[in-house]
Amino acid sequence: MELRNYLIAIKAIIKKDAKIFFRYPANAVFRIVEPILWITPVYFLSKAFQINGENIGFSQYSGTTDYMAFLVIGSIVSSFVSAVMWGMGFSLKNEMDVGVIESNWLTPIPLWVQLIGRSIFSLIMTTVNALTVAFLVWLMFGFNIAGGILMAIVTLLPMLIALYGLGFGIASLVLITNNANNIIDITNFCLSMMSGESFPITVLPRVLIPISLALPITYGYDAIRGILLNTKTLLPIPVEQGILVLFMIIGIFVGYRILKWVEKYCRTKGNIAFH
Amino acid sequence: MSILIPIFSVVKKEWRIMLRYPSWFISFIIWPIIFPFGYIFTAKALSGMESSSLAQFQSIAGTTDYVTYMLIGTTIWMWNNTMLWSFGSSLRMEQMRGTLESNWLCPIPKISILFGYSVSQLLMSLIYISLSVLEFMIFYDFKFVGSPLLALLILLVSVPSVYGLGFIFASLVLWVKEANSMVFLVRGIISIFCGISYPLAVLPSWMKPISKFIPMTHSVNALRAVISTGATMDDISGEMLFLIISGIILMLLGLLAFFYTQRKAKTLGSLGHY
Repeated sequence: MELRNYLIAIKAIIKKDAKIFFRYPANAVFRIVEPILWITPVYFLSKAFQINGENIGFSQYSGTTDYMAFLVIGSIVSSFVSAVMWGMGFSLKNEMDVGVIESNWLTPIPLWVQLIGRSIFSLIMTTVNALTVAFLVWLMFGFNIAGGILMAIVTLLPMLIALYGLGFGIASLVLITNNANNIIDITNFCLSMMSGESFPITVLPRVLIPISLALPITYGYDAIRGILLNTKTLLPIPVEQGILVLFMIIGIFVGYRILKWVEKYCRTKGNIAFH
Repeated sequence: MSILIPIFSVVKKEWRIMLRYPSWFISFIIWPIIFPFGYIFTAKALSGMESSSLAQFQSIAGTTDYVTYMLIGTTIWMWNNTMLWSFGSSLRMEQMRGTLESNWLCPIPKISILFGYSVSQLLMSLIYISLSVLEFMIFYDFKFVGSPLLALLILLVSVPSVYGLGFIFASLVLWVKEANSMVFLVRGIISIFCGISYPLAVLPSWMKPISKFIPMTHSVNALRAVISTGATMDDISGEMLFLIISGIILMLLGLLAFFYTQRKAKTLGSLGHY
């Protein structure tokens, strides 16, 4: 019965988010245009290093000369990371600003269910968006994928679930600091960079490589590229998939515990409407 | 005199708000380090373990020092990015908070409000760029081959172009009532057409003439020439002349756009709509 109620609440939140999203069509268009605006300069950067149309230097680090395919896969995975972080953290700040967060907290729906509801619409739109962007980039710049799409999706799933744990953590931080933009922007950017969104992490300075290796997302990028592009991977792909499953279990548990603790703290302090 | 007091008041108000929320300073410290990070390590990966790909980059860009190359480009991009967010969101925020109409009723020249935002933003940018240079020296081993004063002069000569664009942008945001998408679009155009992270020679031939008409391209080129290769005033005179002329034109266009928007908004009564 409780589960049914949660599902009804999640459905209502998705409906509300969809209504707001389609109310501002310029935003919908720019969600497709923006990733292309980010990818295009990197495409031209890769051209500046090409010898006879191939990124020979890049293949020495990664095992593939097709830098565009490497970059597009990185961008797609990053867009899911961003969707969870912005979908959870920023939506809370938005509700604070608009002044509805207190009334939402008074409903008999746990905060974690509300957060999941908010990120689901964001994930649906990200999937549609990522596929559209990949298609447009393929048309504009061209890239090749070896195959194994189903296996790549199977690898992406535990990572996505694990990211919910991270999203809970970010939401907790936003609740405590009342500051969303800077926290999410910087965390999101650093995570993407350090886990190798647009380059193999082996090019990082030695001092940063341990940090990069400690981020489970790194293995997500690496395994998916290994499956789709046959790139050199840091560890054998099944080991990387195992790390992601472990990350999923630990991430969700720790994220949920932190969120529960912060929720209790905010309810005691009464500070959720402050900004 | 009547225009200076409201400008000063806007600057004072903006700084009060900024000091009330000091977390912006953290992003000022972190962004100069992390923003070029992606481009620099992408360039390192693309250059490979042997020197053949880097030699290819050198043949087009004229340097193997891609780190300094990226740092200069990304700093100019960041300056424009913060300016666009500041101009786009300042009037728009007042519109959303419902204070724009009451500000408009004040018996002051309305352009002074925009000038106030400009002065405040310029001060912030000066702090940002100074901090960036300092951090670049610490973390990226950044060095001036040429004159730092000449580099500063290039930045100052670029100010009218950057803020003229900002005035046009602020007027546009009042029209379309949407800041985010507009910022994404304009900063995207700058990053693609101005050679922020790559030499313009790699652009397709139809894109090159467009890039030459954007003042930021000339700011980036002149700064790279002075900082990386020690170019003198004579070497960059063409770029400086373009920046001065485009600055005058963009400033005039910006003022015209603002006055036109102001008149239109008064006639339509749409200032408070969002």
